[in-house]
Amino acid sequence: MKLPRYIEIDLTRKTSKIFVISTRDFHDYLGGKGLAAKILYDEMAAGTDAYSPDNLIVINVGPLTGTGAPSSSRFNISTKSPLTGAIASSNCGGTFGMKLRGAGYDGLVIRGQSASPVYIEIMDGIVNVRDASHLWGMNTEDTQKQFNKRYGQLVIGPGGENLVRYACAVSGERVAGRCGIGAVMGSKNLKAVIAYGTEEVEIEKKKEFDAFVSRWVTSLKNHPSTGEAMPKYGTAGFLKKVYKNHVLPADNYQHTNFAEADRISGETLAEEYMTRNSGCVSCPIRCERRVKHQDKEIKGPEFETIGLLGSNIGNDSMNSIIEWNYQADLMGIDTISLGSTLAFAMELSQKGIKDYGLQFGNPEGISEAIRQISLREGPCAELADGVRALSEKYGGHDFAIHSKGLEFASYDPRHSVGLGLGYATSNRGGCHLNGGFLTFVEILSPVSVNGLDTKGKAALTAFFQNAMESVSSGGSCLFTTFSVIPAFLFKGKGDGFVNHITGRLLTYSSPLLGFIMHHPGLFNFKMFYLFPHIEAIELATGIKCTVGSFLEAGERSFTIERMFNIREGFTSADDCLPPRIMNEMVEEQDTTMSEKIKIMLHEFYRVRTWEDSGRPAKKLLGRLGIELHDDENE
Amino acid sequence: MSYRIVDKCIGCSLCAKLCPVLAITGTPKEIYSVNEKRCIECGVCGRVCAKSAILDPLGNITQQIPRKLWPLPHINTNQCSSCGICVEACGMEALDISDPQYVGDIHTFAYLKDPKKCVGCAICTRKCPLNLIRMEAIS
Repeated sequence: MKLPRYIEIDLTRKTSKIFVISTRDFHDYLGGKGLAAKILYDEMAAGTDAYSPDNLIVINVGPLTGTGAPSSSRFNISTKSPLTGAIASSNCGGTFGMKLRGAGYDGLVIRGQSASPVYIEIMDGIVNVRDASHLWGMNTEDTQKQFNKRYGQLVIGPGGENLVRYACAVSGERVAGRCGIGAVMGSKNLKAVIAYGTEEVEIEKKKEFDAFVSRWVTSLKNHPSTGEAMPKYGTAGFLKKVYKNHVLPADNYQHTNFAEADRISGETLAEEYMTRNSGCVSCPIRCERRVKHQDKEIKGPEFETIGLLGSNIGNDSMNSIIEWNYQADLMGIDTISLGSTLAFAMELSQKGIKDYGLQFGNPEGISEAIRQISLREGPCAELADGVRALSEKYGGHDFAIHSKGLEFASYDPRHSVGLGLGYATSNRGGCHLNGGFLTFVEILSPVSVNGLDTKGKAALTAFFQNAMESVSSGGSCLFTTFSVIPAFLFKGKGDGFVNHITGRLLTYSSPLLGFIMHHPGLFNFKMFYLFPHIEAIELATGIKCTVGSFLEAGERSFTIERMFNIREGFTSADDCLPPRIMNEMVEEQDTTMSEKIKIMLHEFYRVRTWEDSGRPAKKLLGRLGIELHDDENE
Repeated sequence: MSYRIVDKCIGCSLCAKLCPVLAITGTPKEIYSVNEKRCIECGVCGRVCAKSAILDPLGNITQQIPRKLWPLPHINTNQCSSCGICVEACGMEALDISDPQYVGDIHTFAYLKDPKKCVGCAICTRKCPLNLIRMEAIS
């Protein structure tokens, strides 16, 4: 078995040190965000400022990254977020991860702070920190053009340089968007990381692995979701269903009746704007949209971008969404937080609190605002601090749509209450993916779980959160899990008897899910249809992996991220949603969300074995083998 | 193990230009060298060198071979999943994913777009996770 090889680079001292992950940590955390959380928890002191040299950036891959397994180009970046003050993790499908493995490493730990702009170059295992003054100020596309196309690249744009709190890092055209990772790189004066080499990823049982990958790809290709809906309409294809179910936010979550939803749907994007579909390297799902923009083929917007730069600011022009998405990628800022911040600014002026010259339904001034935010200049400069900071400065706490400081993705949780619980409890704040993405069973997939009812949601959320942590840590894209919904449920309109029954089964699955979570050792087997990742990881690495150990790795990862946040002072009081979501109703007959969240949270803590304070119980930490640091033992 | 360049090299730089993994460096008109760590032993350098200045990993002197005899990849397009690994791996940008045939066509595949750029290194063959690519010389 080959253990993951990491290199720690100190930008202050310009030194580096190679270290190897222990067998136990490899088995327990797999890699990716799980292992990154473990490193951050062990190596960082409580209360470290996100912009201080002592903040660490961990960039790492999972065991499947670059192996040829489907949708496995994913790599992860974790650090402490300047936007939330909590742990940040962001996942990206660019080529950097596999190229980093080619260069001989499975992960980088970056600490310190350079006095002047630099970039890190990793060639065939050798690390050099080089001057980047000539790159400083360049957008993400131009920066990448300065290097050989064959190199794996991870760069920031002006947004990261100017410490926009939601700046992202870009690899090719794929983006590690959320939580302000780009700003932390910027604070370290780190413009880019470049990696290249031809080291092969070692695969323990090559022949079996190849055969398994073949089977896995076939199953993804033959599935109605990953083989047809996703390649045809991408994530934008979610929009119609989301809108119909009153989950598409409009005008900063004031309502969910955006009448022009058709004009910004995935169908419209596919039929009128898309030139072809594409995908991250190694992915047979290919949900990426390619669109024409001024004689150039560029990346089209994802669902979340369409919602937040579309309906949530009252904009029905797909063209403008495509353009702003591109502009934000060039500048290196997260389109989700950007859209939400613009919407908040618009509501501030609607309410006469502060006028930025931005209004709902008016595309004018937005492009200029994106420029000002990225460069932190002009009247819109302060929008670079995100929704929470603005609400602290000007008020408007009631309609500041974030959790723990991270702006929501474009799913309104009031008709997808499980996702609401996810937003409230996600370790990186208001994130749909770390939150467990219950919208998938409540709205998107044809299993008909009631989005208004709290029944069963706590256990489902915890289970999905754990599962997605494991899939991410393993190096696979979360969309590979879509094929878990049996193909026959996609037949017809998706509201038939079988769909209804499946929905009911899931709703009443809490005792079973709870049992699996509390007794992972009993689930000592593999299940292709549930998680093909498990067998792939075992064949690739040689570590023993079962349904139980795989899910427990996810639980461990979620729990250690939670422990990081608790050390930073987060408590159960932070597991909350903004007042607008809690108290205002989407439709008259609804009951308020605050009641529902209370019920679900209580159950969620119980399922997760957390104390009322929101702290994971000693019993749980013991089972997961998470060792507390001395200062935390009460 | 790696290919090596010996002092018969006249520094014409052709091997460096065609090395698909950027393993060969040097100054024109001086002796070039192969980065042993990076060399994937594809043999392209040996096939282009007119001076037989390149040794294979076993120490044999390589012979120049006319380009029209170099092997080219043949892709089983029916089973290709368009995952793009070969396209990304190809250092010479000879491969691409096919264009959709109509609006909404999702049945695309990898193909040899530019045979003139292909150096026959077979890196695509090694990387294809479904083993759908084989190298064939044109007879």
